Amino acid sequence: MLTCGIDVGSVSTEVVILESDPDKILSYIIAPTGASSKTAAGKALVRACEKAGIEKSLIKSIVATGYGRVNIPFADNNITEISCHARGAISCFPETRTVIDIGGQDSKVIKLENGSPVDFLMNDKCAAGTGRFLEVMARALEIDLENFADIFLNTKKTVEITSTCTVFAESEIVSLIGQGIEKNVIIKGLVYSIANRITSMVERVGLEEPVCMTGGVARNLGVVNALEEKLSAKINIPEEPQITGALGAAFLARNHA
Amino acid sequence: MIIKERLKTGIRKNLNQQYLKRLLGIIAMKPLLHAYGSTFSSISDKYLNIFSIESIRDAYCSDRTVGFGSLFIPYEFLYSLRITPFLPEVMAGFTAGLGLAEQTLAKASSNWYSQDLCTFHRSASGAVEMDLFPKPSFIFSTNLACDAAQKSFYIYARKYGIEENFHLIDVPYEKDEASVSYLAGQFREIAEKISSKMGTGLDYARFREVIQLSNRFRELAIEVNQVRRKLVDYPPYYNGLNFILPFHGLTGTENDVILYQQMLLELKNFLKEQENKGDAPARKKLLWLHLKPYYRNDIFDTLAEGNCSVVFEEINHVYWPEMDPSSPFESFARKMLSNPLAGSINHRLDAIRTMARDYSIDGAILFSHWGCRHSNGGARIIKDSLKEMGIPVLVLDGDCVDAGNSSGGQIKTRLQGFMEILNFRK
Repeated sequence: MLTCGIDVGSVSTEVVILESDPDKILSYIIAPTGASSKTAAGKALVRACEKAGIEKSLIKSIVATGYGRVNIPFADNNITEISCHARGAISCFPETRTVIDIGGQDSKVIKLENGSPVDFLMNDKCAAGTGRFLEVMARALEIDLENFADIFLNTKKTVEITSTCTVFAESEIVSLIGQGIEKNVIIKGLVYSIANRITSMVERVGLEEPVCMTGGVARNLGVVNALEEKLSAKINIPEEPQITGALGAAFLARNHA
Repeated sequence: MIIKERLKTGIRKNLNQQYLKRLLGIIAMKPLLHAYGSTFSSISDKYLNIFSIESIRDAYCSDRTVGFGSLFIPYEFLYSLRITPFLPEVMAGFTAGLGLAEQTLAKASSNWYSQDLCTFHRSASGAVEMDLFPKPSFIFSTNLACDAAQKSFYIYARKYGIEENFHLIDVPYEKDEASVSYLAGQFREIAEKISSKMGTGLDYARFREVIQLSNRFRELAIEVNQVRRKLVDYPPYYNGLNFILPFHGLTGTENDVILYQQMLLELKNFLKEQENKGDAPARKKLLWLHLKPYYRNDIFDTLAEGNCSVVFEEINHVYWPEMDPSSPFESFARKMLSNPLAGSINHRLDAIRTMARDYSIDGAILFSHWGCRHSNGGARIIKDSLKEMGIPVLVLDGDCVDAGNSSGGQIKTRLQGFMEILNFRK
């Protein structure tokens, strides 16, 4: 049976086409969401079908998730990111007890028992502690976000970034540069600031290992490393963390086929 | 609906006390009120709305003595002294419902009220600054649960130039006989002072009459709550979070008794219909803690779509003992002291655990209103306490008054995520 999961996030839209018996990802697409979540999801689904070499009609059930989940008319059902990331993480690491998902403008911590979510916490209204925070800071520092991980791992000194607000943190960085503090040191401080914020969320929900991290920011090894240090726990990362929500949605779509 | 929308538009366009007074004077006339009442789908809902309007009308339009009161004052005390209560915090909720909170909050902000102050008080403060409320002769506040009320109500007293008529009722932390005596002494002293000022003398017959009505309301509310233990589904008009005024500003009135007699009758009939139908609907049963947003929102539609039903609300818990009509001041003292929000958080935890057991809930939602320290300060311990009973709790951060301080999309995702968790547990 073929099912599909679509995760419509604020920054990117992911589509996963999943085959059963045995479970196999036939294709996946990661595309920018842009101005219309409906158009982005439609186009990404077409591309995913082409990549998998299947007709869309062969898909038995489609589940949409993410902030744009309610605007996808061709989805058979919509389920929140909480359940989808939990299910996606379980499919990669079946023993997972805590999921940390850091997406474009949203971060969440999900606690699992026997593979099902039992509690969760989502970030506040602001962008602090999300991928957007890192993007804004990378732009302010004129350094590619991809380089943050290497810089974090190879820099010893750090500086405390006290502002939790993304806008204020940007001005704080300008001020730190003005004080002659090296960009690498500032980057280390920024990564720690995001890790501190997420650690506080994890502690509120209650850390249980094994921990799995999902979402685009999980590709940033600097953040992963800082989180492992702060949590004193190893973090499992799926092969393609950004599609975990869509993958979970594709698994949950089987219940609605 | 058309009448309600026209009323809202009219008020928005003419936001001043004279217009409100004129409008209330007109709509509270019997034929118009009857027409307005016919727009409601049940008699109890009609009573709730009409009695609320009448109580506000009495404060605006009559020549009675008006007293501002914060939420946790026993309103039987005011009615006994023949003071017409006006509740600025409840009015802040109405203001949000009318879509006026943006203006009252902006006014408060331009008058240096802190953004950290709870929006019930900020909005009410803005309304006072805009001179939207009727002028009070007395102001009553208390330190019970709410810190902001003590301060903001005193500011109102200064604003109206009646500082000497501001009465702060100091509720002690301990719930013992010494506290009853201390608190009863305050009521007695305030009553003597006010009756002497009003030149009326203390009318103990009036105290007795009001307390008897309050006791009758209490009995009916207990009976309503007992019927509710068997209800999972509710008539569409019914939302237990709308009963703030009956539980506070209307206690000790005949209207409160009439409303609850009718509500009891309707809920009993509804229960009978449900029982005749056979199986009760398979919904997840929720306990709602604290208040709800009073501006337009889709929280309860989202819960219904997710097959969840709020089967009880913390605000409808009858926590106080029957009052003794022959000892009014001690009775008021006992009522305030028995409030689970008075003193240690453990009193609130005990009450919440009892409600969880009585209504066999599957989950609880704590609406954590911005700036409300007495409620959101206890979020963690409440969550842990219900978790020990195997009951998941969603702490929903939001704002009851300021729509701009709540994100509908985020609230919806949290609610849906929580309902998915409840369904995973089946």
